[in-house]
Amino acid sequence: MANPSMTHSFRDSPVLRPSGLIVLALVAALVAIMTMTGSRITLSLFAQAAIISIMALSVGFLARTADLISFGHAAPFGLGAYGTALIFRHGIPAELGILLVLLAVFALFFVMGLVVGKLNGIAFSMLTLALGQFFFVAVSKLRAITSGADGMNVSVPSSLFGLPGRTFQTPDGMLVIASVVLAALVIAIYLFEATRTGRLAMGVRENEERVLFLGYRTKLLKAAVLATSATIAGVSGVLFALYQGFVSPEIMHWSFSGNALIMAILGGSLAVWGPVAGALVFFFLREWLSDLTEHWHSVLGAILIAVTVAWPGGVTALAKVVRARLTGRKQGEAGK
Amino acid sequence: MSFLFRCEDIGKTYGGVVALKDVSIGLESGQVHGLIGPNGAGKSTFIDVVSGKTPGLGKVFFEDREITGIGPSAMRRMGISRSFQRTSIFPALTVRDQLELASHGAGGGHTGELVEMLGLGAVLETEAEEISYGQQRLVDLALALVGNPRVLLLDEPAAGLSSQESAAMAVHLEEIAERWNVAVLLVEHDMDVVFRVCKVLTVLASGRFLVQGAPADLRNNPAVIEAYFGSTA
Repeated sequence: MANPSMTHSFRDSPVLRPSGLIVLALVAALVAIMTMTGSRITLSLFAQAAIISIMALSVGFLARTADLISFGHAAPFGLGAYGTALIFRHGIPAELGILLVLLAVFALFFVMGLVVGKLNGIAFSMLTLALGQFFFVAVSKLRAITSGADGMNVSVPSSLFGLPGRTFQTPDGMLVIASVVLAALVIAIYLFEATRTGRLAMGVRENEERVLFLGYRTKLLKAAVLATSATIAGVSGVLFALYQGFVSPEIMHWSFSGNALIMAILGGSLAVWGPVAGALVFFFLREWLSDLTEHWHSVLGAILIAVTVAWPGGVTALAKVVRARLTGRKQGEAGK
Repeated sequence: MSFLFRCEDIGKTYGGVVALKDVSIGLESGQVHGLIGPNGAGKSTFIDVVSGKTPGLGKVFFEDREITGIGPSAMRRMGISRSFQRTSIFPALTVRDQLELASHGAGGGHTGELVEMLGLGAVLETEAEEISYGQQRLVDLALALVGNPRVLLLDEPAAGLSSQESAAMAVHLEEIAERWNVAVLLVEHDMDVVFRVCKVLTVLASGRFLVQGAPADLRNNPAVIEAYFGSTA
């Protein structure tokens, strides 16, 4: 008997199926319509939401791929943001500097992944919390480098990645840029999951012991997943710094990591896009509630608890249920 | 006698409790060697220590080269594989995906033949959590077999199977040893399977070596009966 094909191709990836391509086209059309018709405030909200969605995507990627929950992803976000501010301040070529910042984030978290590779569950989460707070305190105290609690202005150069520097600081410009980066990252993660390494990462998440007994070394892979996740958070931080034009230690506080984690949980991990959906729900719910009441924290908390109890799998689980029901209805209709 | 795979004075203590003490076993190519004993005899502990899952005492040799402590992934790449007492597969991956993973990890192998022999062709595209328990046990066995291992350490492959499924598993084990000339160490409670496929049996009791011999010789061995039933009466 001939060997059945045991190879994967990108064609297996959901993002390249017709339904995935239609969703991408719809999102692109939506962003285009918004930039043409949306008010400045609306566009700014969506631009910020897109940037924060990338942060949530990074936390969700780590949870989905390695089953690791990070309470410290504000650290790579902040390193990306502060790194951008510093390279602009010191006149380092912008594109090269941003690339070096992201490479440094990757390298730092790769080494960290090698060191903490055996930690899982609560131990890993607590360590990331501690590391996150370490960086928060570091940027707060290193006044000579970071200006401490006063924060730093980000002087965006006149031209960046072939675009006018202003583009990164206008709501419509950043909405398009952040949406493109977000879509590219979502597609890249989907494609990664269709590769052998992606399947291996899922295997490690599901049953690391068995993966070891299949002849693999898992330490490097886990470290690479952590580093990649941190680099995605770093990308989010770079965009944040470019758009806001200012960075301060608050962006590295643990509560920001907590928000990103809540977004990822709210979105769920059944699909790559889950954290993005969670971020959008969280972001706009927060904006809406803060307009309604000064006690919006309490209301938001209560809503999140209720949603999490009702749908533990988040938005993606809800979408799965809805799709199953729709599919069932169609099958039923077909049978009539 | 020269063994392909040899374990010397394997031991394990948990705190002050001796779970296994000075057990030595040698495996030959193409032969199924049974490791039996009552519950708590130390059979699974033996496989766990030898395979590197649990740290322990003693030495392990493969082709007369000491490989003690090289770790599970290095052992697998060397051609020494194992299965687990509790089904150890990847529930969310399709059968095809996990066999492909196993094949790549072990450096390729006769995946197609395995799929055919174990009758997994119909469930290749199904996620492992969706297939029957009996099929999951076969996937577990296939994961251990992919990549042409030369030594196979099987920890109760027939656990939880029906009598029909156990009989089929016994046929598979015989075929595996003979067709691919694999040295198999079989820990199993199902005596029908053990007596059908094993050429040699080692009996453990309370973590100690009790006796070794051909199944026919041990079937009515008073020491073995006493170990299992507490009395020869």
